[in-house]
Amino acid sequence: MRALCWNGVNDLRVERVDDPRILAPHDVIIKVRLSSVCGSDLHLIDGYVPTMKPGDILGHEFLGEVVEKGPDVLKLNRGDRVITISIIGCGKCWYCENEQYSLCDNSNPHPHFEEAAYGHCTAGIFGYSHAFGGYAGSHAEYIRVPFADNNCFRVPDGVSDEQAVFVSDAVPTGYMAADMGGIRPGDIVAVWGCGGVGQMAMKSAYLMGAERVIGIDRYPDRLAAAQMKAGAEPLDYTRVDVFEALQAMTGGRGPDVCIDAVGMEADGFDTGVEYWYDRAKQAVGLESDRPAVLRQMIQCCRKGGTLSIVGVYGGWLDKFPMGAAMNKALTFRMGQQHGQRYAARLFAHIETGEIDPSYLLTHKWSLDDAPRGYRMFKEKQDNCMRVVFAPQA
Amino acid sequence: MSAERLWRDGGHETAGPADRWVAIMAGTALGVAGLRRGDWVGLGLAAMGGGLLFAGAAGVPVVQGVRELGGTRVAGLLPAASDEPTTVQAVVTIRAGREALFRHWRNFGNLPTLMDHLDAVEILDRTRSCWKARGPGGMSVVWHSEIDKEQENELISWHTVKGPSGDDADLPHRGQVQFKDAPGGRGTEVRLTIAYHPPGGQGGRMVARLFGSSPGVQAREALRRLKQIMETGERPTIDGQPHGARRGMMKLMAGDMAP
Repeated sequence: MRALCWNGVNDLRVERVDDPRILAPHDVIIKVRLSSVCGSDLHLIDGYVPTMKPGDILGHEFLGEVVEKGPDVLKLNRGDRVITISIIGCGKCWYCENEQYSLCDNSNPHPHFEEAAYGHCTAGIFGYSHAFGGYAGSHAEYIRVPFADNNCFRVPDGVSDEQAVFVSDAVPTGYMAADMGGIRPGDIVAVWGCGGVGQMAMKSAYLMGAERVIGIDRYPDRLAAAQMKAGAEPLDYTRVDVFEALQAMTGGRGPDVCIDAVGMEADGFDTGVEYWYDRAKQAVGLESDRPAVLRQMIQCCRKGGTLSIVGVYGGWLDKFPMGAAMNKALTFRMGQQHGQRYAARLFAHIETGEIDPSYLLTHKWSLDDAPRGYRMFKEKQDNCMRVVFAPQA
Repeated sequence: MSAERLWRDGGHETAGPADRWVAIMAGTALGVAGLRRGDWVGLGLAAMGGGLLFAGAAGVPVVQGVRELGGTRVAGLLPAASDEPTTVQAVVTIRAGREALFRHWRNFGNLPTLMDHLDAVEILDRTRSCWKARGPGGMSVVWHSEIDKEQENELISWHTVKGPSGDDADLPHRGQVQFKDAPGGRGTEVRLTIAYHPPGGQGGRMVARLFGSSPGVQAREALRRLKQIMETGERPTIDGQPHGARRGMMKLMAGDMAP
């Protein structure tokens, strides 16, 4: 089959590889119909994650059809149209039983990296480096899914492929960001990052009762989409002082909930010296993550407010304003999405029209064009929100 | 006793996974940063990074060496022969009842599925068993064990004994596994302890090789597999999945320098 392989920093190639096969009794093989790029792939492509191997297949947000199943798969059948949650849960450990699937004890077959770096190992993720299990990704004609009964979800008839594919990752990540915010009536929610995840967080925040939602970014098309599609009040951080603007918009209180949908490669151009300080430390490996968004959120958030972090971080960061965080009694919530917890609820929201993620799909391309697709997505050309590959086309 | 401590006390010469990971990670970061600079300073950084990376990949104990420079021991020296047994211990919480876990372990015939170096364990009678393992260079190692203590659903303890022909075990050791309820319905805490006499010199190296990278790591891996099998009924794996051409690390770094 054809698959998009990582070959080194910014070196992606479509290669011919073996078809996947059933390796364990709870596996299924899925014929991939749609497979989306994701902002978190950029950290891998840019080389910020040291456990990528040349030849690794990328992609973790996908929809397809079950074509083969292992002997212990009970809930799925050949021909089922399913989405698969990007982060793999075994469904049996204590964390999975408590619906914290991304903390699964068993799904990462290479736990030593994370145990050494993080103290404990978390769940395996498709196409997301060997630290997270080394599972082959979905930018391919076929993909093997382990523990399929727990990770695949049948798509209801009334939901289109284009709507459903983002229930793999972008929608549950945004939804969980809002959920972790513990939004209460009257709350004002500020979301840093107006990409797919950020916009889903905005939409979800309204569903959970937010009074107002503010979206922060610097790309005009993304700010426009956040405003038109997700109902957010746009804030261009290259034009206004974010702190001053947020205080002005919240009666001087600051947002009740601040959501980070950016993560470790924050631009933070508006922060001047601070940006170059982090960029330099990152370049020589003294700091792996740039925390511009986190610092700004701590400063802006109202006293006693909540920071909800779903933007991805990988290693260390420094000059963390702990004094402000502690004395303002902020609550920090964070984590990779537990999509299995939310999938049914999200399909229900899509069926009633309360969420329609299909507009995130701005470009549907053949898998052969994947290297070009990632370049466009990374450089945010042609108003690209998400490129989605159709490997069967 | 911490995991780090266990690895270091394992009487082995190669680097543990943690050390290797730290070296690989530091090496990669330096290498990438160095190549990005593209000047002589960068090349120096890259070379240093490459060295660390390969040291990490090859299991050379860089981190251990650095760590021990500050202490009294000198890096690279083998532990001396000693009458004091070395003890390694690992613990894991498994979402299963004590009864099921006890039953699984009590059948020593199951142990080869938990420990890579074991080929087979043959049950001779109620307490005695014969263990066959692969030693260094594919050499076969055989020893006999006897269960000396057994408390239903709580504890099993065994030790090596003389074989039927009266020969001593090559690698005398004692093992014990304990099962305890974890609080709040979190399952069962399983604790595995192995005590052995680390022979000096060549023998010490053999213990290390026989038990994998070290007895401590081996104990941890055995419990991890027990957990995987008892919780999920399978061993999570990616062995046999497709991938593109593995073009190698030199190519990777060269790719980074391309315009």
